[in-house]
Amino acid sequence: MQILVFVKPVPEAETRLRPTADGRRLDTDGVKFVLSGYDESAVEQALLLKEALPGTQVRAVTFGTSPRSEEVLRSALALGCDAATWVEAPTGSEPELRETVRALAAASRKFPAELYLLGQQSLDTEAGMVPTALAAALGLPGTNGAVNLRFDGSRQLLCFDRERGGEIESWEFPVPGVIGLKQAANDPRAAKLQNILKSRKLPIDRIPASELPAAVADAGTVRPALFTLPPARTGAKLIEYTSPEDAAHKLVRILREEAKVFP
Amino acid sequence: MPDFSLTEEQSSLREMARKFARSEMLPHAAECDRTARFPEEIYRKAWELGLMNLNVPTEFGGSGLSALDICLIVEELAYGCAGMTTSIIANCLALEPILLGGTPEQQHRFLDPFCASYQLASFCLTEPAGGSDAGAITTRAIRHGSGYQITGEKCFITNAPHASLYTVFATVDPKLQHRGITAFVVPRSAAGVQPGKDEEKMGHRASSTSTVRFEEVEVPEADRLGAEGEGFALAMRTLDQTRTPIGALATGIAQAALDHAGSYALKRRTFGKPIAEHQAIQIKLADMATKVHASRLLTWAAAARIDRGEAATLDSSIAKTYASEAAFQVADDAIQIHGGYGYMKEYPVEKLLRDAKLTQIYEGSNEIQRIVIARELLKQYA
Ligand SMILES: Cc1cc2nc3c(=O)[nH]c(=O)nc-3n(C[C@H](O)[C@H](O)[C@H](O)COP(=O)(O)OP(=O)(O)OC[C@H]3O[C@@H](n4cnc5c(N)ncnc54)[C@H](O)[C@@H]3O)c2cc1C
Repeated sequence: MQILVFVKPVPEAETRLRPTADGRRLDTDGVKFVLSGYDESAVEQALLLKEALPGTQVRAVTFGTSPRSEEVLRSALALGCDAATWVEAPTGSEPELRETVRALAAASRKFPAELYLLGQQSLDTEAGMVPTALAAALGLPGTNGAVNLRFDGSRQLLCFDRERGGEIESWEFPVPGVIGLKQAANDPRAAKLQNILKSRKLPIDRIPASELPAAVADAGTVRPALFTLPPARTGAKLIEYTSPEDAAHKLVRILREEAKVFP
Repeated sequence: MPDFSLTEEQSSLREMARKFARSEMLPHAAECDRTARFPEEIYRKAWELGLMNLNVPTEFGGSGLSALDICLIVEELAYGCAGMTTSIIANCLALEPILLGGTPEQQHRFLDPFCASYQLASFCLTEPAGGSDAGAITTRAIRHGSGYQITGEKCFITNAPHASLYTVFATVDPKLQHRGITAFVVPRSAAGVQPGKDEEKMGHRASSTSTVRFEEVEVPEADRLGAEGEGFALAMRTLDQTRTPIGALATGIAQAALDHAGSYALKRRTFGKPIAEHQAIQIKLADMATKVHASRLLTWAAAARIDRGEAATLDSSIAKTYASEAAFQVADDAIQIHGGYGYMKEYPVEKLLRDAKLTQIYEGSNEIQRIVIARELLKQYA
């Protein structure tokens, strides 16, 4: 079986992102990019399926710019993916939804697979559009928020679970198809030291986005016009109190009369 | 010109160790410190990821890293918890005599099965009456049949209660002093090997330290490392390799102390402004950062020299001595910057001071390092 797993580089969790001076983009200078947490779950799921079904090949694919694209692909290789493909975006550009779907769909045509896995959303924008849009672009069934993928006894039918309001739905899913994974749907493994060293020497296929046949109609791109930081939080107010009850009463009074949170 | 930049491989190793230290070690550091718990599950995970037998070549199942790679990893691990790091790298210390003094047959026989699963080893040199003066050890190796019988007591042995393998230094003839010292590999399973109870320690409390008693332990001649009398030199060559990572360990402690102090100084306000805006605090932070930076570069320089195959005794002694003293001073300053909160166990900085102290004592005390530094130095003027 062939599995394609799409991964996106996102700024490391502790990063403090700021807009550039002109406010047109986020300043990513010196920012470290890592595998998005949702995509880590997707990679882990792909590797679990690979372990369950001998002969399975897992290819990691990303669309974006250098060097963050190579870095996340190296991470995927170190975790155990068999191959890696980098669809190169023009330097300096921030991939936008439609461009991304176009690039990933074209890569999917180039490397046909039974399963296309990815995070249900990315950790940075949290838009959650790519899985559905990609499924539509490929004309395949797609779903989001899946956990615990496994094949039935005949190995023909893929099953997965989805949590909804405390219940667990179990689904059967026809392959080929596109599945967006929930974060921490599994306990993503850490790469072993030797595999990290080996992954540095493995090849990464590079495909300039411009060389890929258009897989979806070019409907133009939409980009954010301006980035601003949320206003700085203003000073906190300390409540003087004599007992917990006193503190609660004073807090309720302030919330009602000053902050007017409730009547 | 030296090039201080790291290769992509080195950056990714450092990244990996950082992630492990901050997600697996740091969250348990305070608890293990308080209760002196030996977190075996963390050590097992470190082994699974290849963070344990760092210096053992891959052909024997180790990670086969250079001295500089090892320093990069050890600094990151120590940032998470110095005590856990001491236990994680104790295998490097214990196995180094086999790497330096074992025959290829011995190396495969001992290391292949050892590295194939999670196991700990201990380096048994120090004795109640012979620490710095390693030539004065009294553990005896008496010729017995086709092999030896070892009898004596070691103390302050890292991981001893949990180890499956010991590298043991014993004398075949106390009259010969250091020329009588001989190295052996002794499995825990040998009759007469008795590790003692965990010592209560000031710091590095996630690590385990105890005595080991050897009571007429039979050791075949095939398990002797090198010739009789070569053990002292082997122990010294071993410490020449492992001293530099202690500099890296100290650097990790110091970096943690600096990070805590820096972010606290921005948050804590006195006299209407963050204490980071008082010049006295700024000067302290600047001095701390300078010491951390110098410690790191000294350890990298010593490690690079080892990796070039050059004699590194002077550089490694300088790095270990400087970094361990810097770590203590930086941790001390971090407590000072935290004021009364720094003195409280609820805050992480007082642990760093207790942890830093050990780096001035073990793997050759700083007084002994200064003897070494002066001796190497004076050779240049002779
Ligand atoms: C937590 C911990 C873990 C350890 N782990 C191990 C281990 O795994 N394996 C192992 O073999 N050992 C281990 N040790 C032992 C450690 O290496 C020794 O404690 C150290 O070498 C000092 O020896 P000592 O304690 O006997 O002190 P001593 O040698 O008695 O020294 C006492 C003081 O005198 C100073 N001094 C001694 N000689 C001189 C001199 N000639 N000139 C000037 N000053 C001198 C010393 O620097 C020290 O300040 C460990 C120790 C600790 C505390």
